[in-house]
This record gives sequence, C-alpha cells and structure tokens, in this order.
Amino acid sequence: MSSKLFNQDSIKKCDDARDRWKQKVSEFEKKTNNDEEHKTLSGIPVEPMYTPEHVADMDYIDDLGFPGEAPFVRGVHPTMYRGRTWTMRQLAGFGTPEHSNERYKLLLKEGATGINGIFDYPTLRGYDSTDPMARADCGRGGVAIDTLEDMETLFDGIPLEKVSSSLVTCQPICNITIQSMYFANARNRGVPLNNLIGTSQNDFLMETCMATAPGVSPPSFAFKLSCDAIEFCAKYAKRWNPVSFAGYNYRETGCTAPQEVAFVISNALACAEEMIKRGLDIDDFASRLSFFMSGHNDFFEEIAKYRAARRVWAKIMKERYNPKNPRSMAFRFHVQTAGVALTAQQPLNNIARSAYHAMAAVLGGAQSVHVDGYDEGLCIPTELSSITALRVNQILQLETGVTRTIDPLGGSYFVESLTNQLEEQIMKIIYDVDLAGGIVKATETGRIHRNISDAAYEYQQNIETGKMSVVGVNCNVIENEVLPIELFELPETVSVQEKKLNKIKKERSAAAVQKALDAISRCCDEENNLMEVIVEFVQANITEGEITKKLREKYGIWDPPLF
Amino acid sequence: MKKAVKVIIARLGMDAHWRGSVVVARAIRDAGNEVVYMGNQMPDAIVETAIQEDADVIGLSSLSGNHLILAPEVVKLLQENDLKDTIVMVGGTIPPDDVPKLKKMGVAEVFGPGSSLKDIVNFVRKAGKT
Repeated sequence: MSSKLFNQDSIKKCDDARDRWKQKVSEFEKKTNNDEEHKTLSGIPVEPMYTPEHVADMDYIDDLGFPGEAPFVRGVHPTMYRGRTWTMRQLAGFGTPEHSNERYKLLLKEGATGINGIFDYPTLRGYDSTDPMARADCGRGGVAIDTLEDMETLFDGIPLEKVSSSLVTCQPICNITIQSMYFANARNRGVPLNNLIGTSQNDFLMETCMATAPGVSPPSFAFKLSCDAIEFCAKYAKRWNPVSFAGYNYRETGCTAPQEVAFVISNALACAEEMIKRGLDIDDFASRLSFFMSGHNDFFEEIAKYRAARRVWAKIMKERYNPKNPRSMAFRFHVQTAGVALTAQQPLNNIARSAYHAMAAVLGGAQSVHVDGYDEGLCIPTELSSITALRVNQILQLETGVTRTIDPLGGSYFVESLTNQLEEQIMKIIYDVDLAGGIVKATETGRIHRNISDAAYEYQQNIETGKMSVVGVNCNVIENEVLPIELFELPETVSVQEKKLNKIKKERSAAAVQKALDAISRCCDEENNLMEVIVEFVQANITEGEITKKLREKYGIWDPPLF
Repeated sequence: MKKAVKVIIARLGMDAHWRGSVVVARAIRDAGNEVVYMGNQMPDAIVETAIQEDADVIGLSSLSGNHLILAPEVVKLLQENDLKDTIVMVGGTIPPDDVPKLKKMGVAEVFGPGSSLKDIVNFVRKAGKT
C-alpha cells in the first residue's frame, strides 16, 4: 500500500503557482553556452528550480527508508558517519616495495586510516620487472612486485589484522597472484585469512575494457579468474572484499555517470550468477561485493548517482535473489576523486576541485575516500601533494560538519528528482546489457568499448567547443605559465628488482618451482579454482611473470576491439 | 580534395590508458585521414608497422611516464631505417619540462594534457604536406 508524500491538492496549488512564477522570470534566465538547455554532465535537463511536484509520486518508506535498511538510499549503515567516519584511504605506490612501504607508513603516521596500494604497470599486467616489455614502466604508476619476498617487504611492520588494505590489483590476471601473495604472507606471519580486512580490485572489465595493455586475457577467462578469487574468499577469507567493481576507472575511461553505475552493477550481477552456478548461496558472498566509484565535477549529479546506485542495487538484488541477509543488498563503495577532471595547467586549482569531488562523495554516503593530489594531471604524487590531499580529506571530516547528520540532502526536491532520473537511466542500461547477453558477452562483441569510446569523444568535443568549461584550459588561461610545483622523480627501480630476482632464482629450489608450475597447469586443465593452487605455490618463490606466462599458455590472449 | 595523411597511433610500452589515444585517433580519422591504431607496442614493432604502412606520421601516447625512454627510441629506429620523412608526435601526460627534451631528441611536436583536438588535426594535416 503506497502512501504519497504530498496530497494532490497541495501539488495542484504548487503547480499553478509555479507556472505563474516561471512565466514571470523566464525572460531573465541566462542561457548556458550555445543557448543550450541547462543539463547535468551526463545530459539530464535541469529545471530552474524544484518543488514538491517533482517528488509527488514518491513513497517515503519504499523509495527512501532509513539508513542501514533496504533500499539503503539514505546510507548503508544505521548511524553512518556519526557511528564511524569514512576511511581515509589515500592511494600510494611507486618504485620498489621498500619505497612504497615507507610511503604507506608515512601516510598512516599522518592520520590515514587504511592502506590503498597500487601496483606498477608490469605487475598489473602480470609481467616481471625484468621482462623486456616492462623495462620502461617498472616502478611507474605503482609499486613493482615480483615475488612473495617483495610482498613481505611491502607490508613489513604493518599489522595486517588491524589495518585494512585495499590492493589495487585492477586486472584479475594480476590479482590472482598478487592477492595470493598477500594471503601467503599473512599465513607466514601467523594471521588467519579470516582475520584479514581489505579489498582487492579484481575487475574483469579492467582487464578487457578499461586499461588494456599487452597480453589482455580473453573476457571469459578474465571473468573466471575474478570469480575464482571471489569463491576463494567466500570460503577462507570471509572479511575480505574479493572484488571492487571499478566504476571509477570506467568513468576515467569515458563513461557517463549512469553508465558508470550500470556497468558496475551488470558486472556484479554476472559474478553473482556465476557464484550461484558454483554452488554458493547468495548470502555466502553478496555482502562482500564492493564498489569503487568516481567523484566527478557535477556536484549534485554525483550525490544523486551514489544514492541511485544504492537503490538500484538493493531493488535488483531483492528481485532476483531475495537474500535473507539485508547486507547482501547494500551497495558499499569507495570513492576516488576524478583524476580526469584535474588539469596539468595551474595545478594548485586541483586542490579546490578535489575537495568539491570529495564533499560530493561524503554527501552521497561513501564508505572510504581517496582525495587526488594536485599534481595528478602531471605525475604520481610527491610527498607534499600526498600529504596535502590527506589534509583535504581530514579537513572535510573534522572541520566542515558534514558528518553530523545522515544523508543531509535527502528530501531536497532537486536531489530526489535527480536520484529518480538517474535510477531510470541506470536501469535502462542494465536492461540493455542483459538483452545483449550480459556483461561478458557485451564485452566480447566490443559493445561496451564502443559505448565508452563514444562518451569519451563527446566529452572531449564539449571541451573543444567550450560547452564545458575547464578553468585554466579553455578559459582563465595563464599565458606562458611557469609550473609552480615540483614534480615526482621516480627512484631507480629496475636494477634493484633485477638484483633481487637474480638472487631469488639462484637460491630457490628448481624442483619446487617446476612442481608449482605443473600444479598450475593441471589446475587450468581441470578447470579448478586457480587461487587455491597459487596461494600454496607462491611459497616456492615462483615469480608473478612465471605464473602469468603459464596461464597465458593455457588461455591465450585477446585483442580488444578499441578502434 | 585534401590528400589523406596516414597516421599510426600507438601507446608506448605497458601504459594501460587508452582514452586519449582513441579520442585523438577518432578525431584524425573524422578529419579525413587514414589511421592505423596499434594499441600497446614497443618501439621496434611501431617502426616495423611504419615501414609496412608507409606512414606519414606516428602518434605516440603515454600517461605512465615512460615517454623519455621509449619515444626517442622510435625516432632513432626511424633514422636507422632511413625513414627521415616520417614525423613523430607525442601526446599524453607529459610534464612541461620534458617537452624541450623530447623535441631535442627528434620528436616533432608534443601535445600534453589539455591539448585541443583541432590543434592535433591541424598538425597532422600540415605534416602530410611536407
């Protein structure tokens, strides 16, 4: 029995009065560029103002409810930030494991409340630092990890059962080994896997659509690898989030806000289907499916996006799987402020941009937040820019008062209306992906790549025409600008990793390595869960590159339809 | 009828970010030129394709910071193969201080963050005339 928020008489009165008002003021309205309608970044038309009639059809209990209860629109936890503030999880990683360990410790000392570790390009692709393909990218964009010994160094002195670690193992081909190394290291330190807290990214779309590079796995194999980790954690590491559907990266690659949400949810639904096929119950794993979202420029659209994502996820999960545990329907997410919205010009302006992005994220109810460094448009962050970004996060949490009440923009006629419109668009895209045979199939045919590439092209055209303002780039430009900041210099990495690898290869047991590689081959042939095997056998000091090579021999590589 | 310029677009090394390279490739193609999109490659494969395709321009894209190592290698290999007329442009996250370094190493033009597609397309058109 639905009960509307407003009675029809009030709405009618409001409607008439609004029309009179609109007529009176419309001639004074300043049109945006090109006399276009006012629209959000994703193209949703925006009215000059919103009134009760925009939300007249809503039922408070069904459509909004209360924090910690389905449909979770107002937040996934009953007390939200009054009970526990969001985790300040600043991304870090570069050079050797020694360099990155030092940076992790610095951030924790300065008040970060979780680790967010990113790996270099070769590690993310499953190559060793010494691979000829890797020679120019070793230690860039993240930390170089080749063996279990590197993982021990990376987390040396960090209490694994106390500090939650997010491993940005974007591609499943990387995650299957790197997460196994993290788990093996925990076991060696006497920490039971069920006590570990953290997240690995492990998103098959990252491998096949978003961040393609040499040796891309075929979509069905990347998907299998991702699901192997989800299944492993559901059995042995129950507090670990084995996947973080990386909407952030979808957005960075070009997606619109509704596409970002729809694709993460389509991806999560495919994983849910697969887990059930493997014999798990929905409540064995669904509460551990986590999401990673972007915090982009359009302040209100972003807030509405997070709220709509929670409602869509809760509705679909209930409808399709009807879980017993309400947590299985809760859309929990980390936010990174949008790197793509930052500029290389006048880089200090990025401090303001990222602060707005982060504020939208917490007004939208994020569980953890990374704020980008001001030098994001130029290089990876220096120590100063890392600490400044952490301070922006802390100022937001400690000084602005946004933590005092839950979902403070709930009930805003505009935000609720935008949440409803985004929900509609997200649902439509999810339905389209379903019709295309699901997310894996839609990836194989190049449909997802096309959608993203079209959106990225349109975004750039909007900057070219000036329809979209970018301060410092297409307006408010400083001629002959002199860069006001120091840039990051990569410390020597390749030769250090090479020395370590040579030493390990000389000292390890060749028989144990062969046994490990044979076991992995056999596991591929028998189509069993690869993580169960790799977790055991990384102990033989087998390298990530050796494992990946074995997997590629079995499953081949794929040429993504990008252009 | 303008002559179509033949452009190879490749991402250097292991850099995983394709957004810039694909958007630029589309703009160049939409302006009536021929584009060969190679995805991720190392310098030798890029130059091999340039020889096979008889390319006028090679566009190298990079975000990872590998540009100072790999872009000059492409220029050097072109010279060694006597392809002096093939022009190399570099795009992506290139810090301002690296622009003169790349030009000194033989890169014809650098399009850093915030560059306009129009400027890139104009550069390609002019390159085709030389």
